[in-house]
Amino acid sequence: MGILLQTLINGIMLGSVYAMVALGLTLIYGILNVPNFVHGTLYMIGAYIAYFAIVSFGAPYWVGLIVSLIILFAIGILLERIVFRPFYDKPLINSFIVAVGLILVLENTALSLWGPEFRQFAAPSDKVIKVMGVMITAQRIIVIVTAAVLIWLVHLFIKKTRLGSAIEATSQNPDGALLMGINISHMRGITFGIGTALAAVAAVLVGPILLIYPAMGHTVIGMAFVIIIIGGMGSFIGAVLGGYIIGILETLVTSYITNFFTEAIIFGLLVLLLAVRPTGLFGKPH
Amino acid sequence: MLLEVRHLDCYYGQSQALKEINIEVEEGECICILGANGAGKSTLLKTIAGLMKPRRGEIWFTGKRMDELPAYTIVREGITLCPEDKKIFPQMSVYKNLCLGAWIHGRKEERIKANLEHVYELFPILKERSDQDAGTLSGGEQQMLVIGRSLMSNPRLLMLDEPSLGLAPMVVNSIFETIKEINARKTTVLLVEQNASMALKIATRGYVIESGRITMAGTAEELLKNEKVKKAYLGI
Repeated sequence: MGILLQTLINGIMLGSVYAMVALGLTLIYGILNVPNFVHGTLYMIGAYIAYFAIVSFGAPYWVGLIVSLIILFAIGILLERIVFRPFYDKPLINSFIVAVGLILVLENTALSLWGPEFRQFAAPSDKVIKVMGVMITAQRIIVIVTAAVLIWLVHLFIKKTRLGSAIEATSQNPDGALLMGINISHMRGITFGIGTALAAVAAVLVGPILLIYPAMGHTVIGMAFVIIIIGGMGSFIGAVLGGYIIGILETLVTSYITNFFTEAIIFGLLVLLLAVRPTGLFGKPH
Repeated sequence: MLLEVRHLDCYYGQSQALKEINIEVEEGECICILGANGAGKSTLLKTIAGLMKPRRGEIWFTGKRMDELPAYTIVREGITLCPEDKKIFPQMSVYKNLCLGAWIHGRKEERIKANLEHVYELFPILKERSDQDAGTLSGGEQQMLVIGRSLMSNPRLLMLDEPSLGLAPMVVNSIFETIKEINARKTTVLLVEQNASMALKIATRGYVIESGRITMAGTAEELLKNEKVKKAYLGI
């Protein structure tokens, strides 16, 4: 029982990270129709920025998190404007190639600047809380709570604000949004920024638990794509629920079955699901 | 002159959709554009709305040049389009769709509220359905939503692309009644229709467009009497 509970908490923690990364990815996909393969790389950069803020400049953890959030928001806006915007009316393969090129450039820059070694920064609190015989580190609770709060805030922003409904309108019908007088390029930029900032925050949240290295985005981006496909491309609720489900599932498989081919099992489930529901759990049929 | 289209040429890739189009619309008029499928009627409206860029020619509105402006600024100048394929926001409520129509009014809550009331008065069914997702509305209700949404920006020129398309005759009648009423309240209307007899009933003047060219122009009565129009578009 103790082990199961421990595993579940770890699963929810991993799920929180997945949910944030996948939410960012699905928001960007929803409005740009571009599968943003750079997302995992930006997640990595977010972690490094917090690392340097915290370790090199001695900033407190939360300052590091906010600095990373703001810088990655700005990077997201710049990337959309400089890299992706010229390719909107071109075939999808163009932005795909650009994204893959960007991954190579950014990752190798990270590798040559910062080296391949693993890094980590300290959690804001090293307290351990004991609940029902289970030891939970404070950082795990911080990850779970912060992720839930941020996801909720993004939800409120989209559903309750003027800007949010313009973003939603642009993702549902860009021409319709243009006819309303909405500057859809702005909406795309803002969304790209928000999506990227979400990935950065996820990375800073797990920074004290997992390791930071130039290729750290690979597994996360792979999982995030599985999640948004399972949840339905572009679906908010699909990405969030999918993130938690996959996080918990992965942790359960790792601790109870095997840790050798967890990913194979998850991808296997994806194939099965797509055979039954080709548009994912919450996707709209085309 | 409210709207003036001069020597407009439009292309889809290599194929020319509009050839030397000249159109003039005075404030308060209700102009209809008749033509067969693929004649270029929708292209003309899309170009005026800024969704397509002309290759040659000019579009002037209230003395200001429009064809060089980005699409999202056109509605600020006072032109709105109710597109043929509606372009509603299907997973958003009817209320939100209408509010987005007033996007250019920013945070002028009073004005938005007044416009909303006006739209609900024109189409009471939209008020009943205000919390429903727009995608769940029937075809006729969606058409009402599109017209209502476009009125939310207080346009000086309202362009309607095939508002009768796919609707039951009863619904078509009431939509046209409403268009007439909107026009009577001083909004200029530019109407594209295949249902020529309906369109000519409410229009003051009309143009006939064939394979991308204007081939005829005149008052509604003149067009109704014209043998060619009778044969080709009225089925008489």
